[in-house]
Amino acid sequence: MNDPIPGSLTAAQSLGGHAPRQATQQHSASASTVDTSHLVEVWGDTVDSRHLAWSVVLGIAISLGAFMVANRIFALFVHDAAMSRAYSMLVGLLACLVAGAVCARLFKPKRRVVEETADSARLQSVLDQLATEPGGLGSVADLPPAVAAEMKELGLYDLFADAERRVKETV
Amino acid sequence: MMDHLLTQAIAALSMGLIGAIVFSGVGLISGTDETTTIAPLTLLVALLGVPPAGVFTFFMAGAVAKHMTHAIPTALLGIPGDTLAVPLMPQAIMLRNLGVPHIALRKMVSGALIAAFVAVPLAVLFAVLLAPFGSMISKAAPWVFLAAAIAIAYFSSGRWSSVLLLIPFVLLIIGLQSVTGKYGVKLSVSYFLGIAIGPLIADLFSILSPTYRVGMRRDQVKTCSVAPDVKGWSGYFPNPLRVLDKQQRNWTVATAAISSATFVFSPVAMTVVMGELVGSRIHQAYHRLTTVIAARNGVTEATYIAEALIPLIAFGLPLSPVAAGPAAPLFNAPPRFFVDSATGQINNLHTLMNGWEFLVYGLLSVLLAALIAYPLTMNYAHRAASFVARKVSHESIIATFAGLIVVIGVWEGQLLGLAVIVTVGLFGGLLSRGFGFNSGVQFMGYYAAVLSVPAITKIFT
Repeated sequence: MNDPIPGSLTAAQSLGGHAPRQATQQHSASASTVDTSHLVEVWGDTVDSRHLAWSVVLGIAISLGAFMVANRIFALFVHDAAMSRAYSMLVGLLACLVAGAVCARLFKPKRRVVEETADSARLQSVLDQLATEPGGLGSVADLPPAVAAEMKELGLYDLFADAERRVKETV
Repeated sequence: MMDHLLTQAIAALSMGLIGAIVFSGVGLISGTDETTTIAPLTLLVALLGVPPAGVFTFFMAGAVAKHMTHAIPTALLGIPGDTLAVPLMPQAIMLRNLGVPHIALRKMVSGALIAAFVAVPLAVLFAVLLAPFGSMISKAAPWVFLAAAIAIAYFSSGRWSSVLLLIPFVLLIIGLQSVTGKYGVKLSVSYFLGIAIGPLIADLFSILSPTYRVGMRRDQVKTCSVAPDVKGWSGYFPNPLRVLDKQQRNWTVATAAISSATFVFSPVAMTVVMGELVGSRIHQAYHRLTTVIAARNGVTEATYIAEALIPLIAFGLPLSPVAAGPAAPLFNAPPRFFVDSATGQINNLHTLMNGWEFLVYGLLSVLLAALIAYPLTMNYAHRAASFVARKVSHESIIATFAGLIVVIGVWEGQLLGLAVIVTVGLFGGLLSRGFGFNSGVQFMGYYAAVLSVPAITKIFT
């Protein structure tokens, strides 16, 4: 196994020869500046409860405000009542996106964004996991030529072949 | 005649394109559910008076495009793009840990694309075969919906509790309807939106309660790890037909064909079952991972298309979880499209378009979605995923949905509409969280309240 990071070779080539990122983790700037005292998990992600309150208020105020104003204006110019209401809804929905954009500018994400590259430990754990699954690792020798070629291109062929041999030895 | 055809075709083309562009973007934001995004916009398009073919392609191209781009968070961030992507997570995570997230993404998207082209003609065919039973089904609609609601409830994770929960839930809806009826307000979209956005509303209430808030506190931010950017092809994007090998193409086509025939089962369940079936036939582990992920994503796509198309073409009644949820405005967009439960009269895309039109415009939608979403996914996946993770705060997404709730509620029924969304959302969200009484069951519960209950009361009076 000369190349523990199978994807990195092609990545480096496609980027025009730039060296692949050496660091395994790259922290986003926003992570360190977050005040953690008001963090809560809502609807699957972390938010600051004060920012959340403002977001809900702004979301409602901006979209409802735009909708009401549009409703008044369209009622003057569009004679078909149903159509004028539909246009107001369009304005209201666009205003929801505006509210989203405003809040995105005001409140930064509460996430630690990590740029990861494959490391050999994680790779090994996947191989171990696959070996224990029903069906096991199987054999690279049985693969159709196209799949074998695909795996070779990704640098995964030898990796699976080695893992297969080790499993056989332990049995 | 020619004029009519031309207007339809132009509307179909332009609306399909708009749908594909808008929902390619929406798909990038993980967790955005189809019912909260596709349904209100499709309703809007219907109410703006867009010709039927345009309403249809907007929905279809939007749904297919969203499915393609939601593969991006699934493959690169390890977060399911939406509930349909959950069964694909194990394979996606393993491929990512093998250092080949781009392969997971390519296999998923190509699987979806092939499956979509298979599913549209097959779903139309099955619908045409079922259509002779259409009048029988629409006469028996109240009972069919009741049976479907019970079956879907039983197959949800809540099992018997979901079946029994249908009673209080249906009562809640009937109660709300009679209250709003007193003030002359008739609501429908508000119920759907309430059901779909329920988990958010339940969480927002919980955060206001000191008891619940303790459990929701976090002392650190969530970590979101972005898989590395790997490009494994030359040129602008890889040929979708060459991304999958022969076996993968065959399995994707076969499983897509099988799942196109089923339209009452949940797409998630079909995806799991079909994935197991394929996985047991492939012997080498890497090949199994890539084949299963392609086939599974194909199945979610095919089931989704079939669930929307078959009830629409064959019956004109929303008889599946997808038809009752995200595709609801194709059936019901009062005053333009409606199903009258009292007279059995149907006036919606079912009556406004024929089988050939569904076939042609369905394929056009898939093509448009592919033209927009496929190159985007192949070339900008990493940049898009990392932009969303770094720049789009969860607060801003919640702000957008808070606005959506208020605009749709007030638009449909002033303060009463808003109150109904919040009430249905709170109860639905809590029931889903506590009992596994999920939104698919709740949509069917809504139809049981509207269609089955009048028939039941007729028997007992």
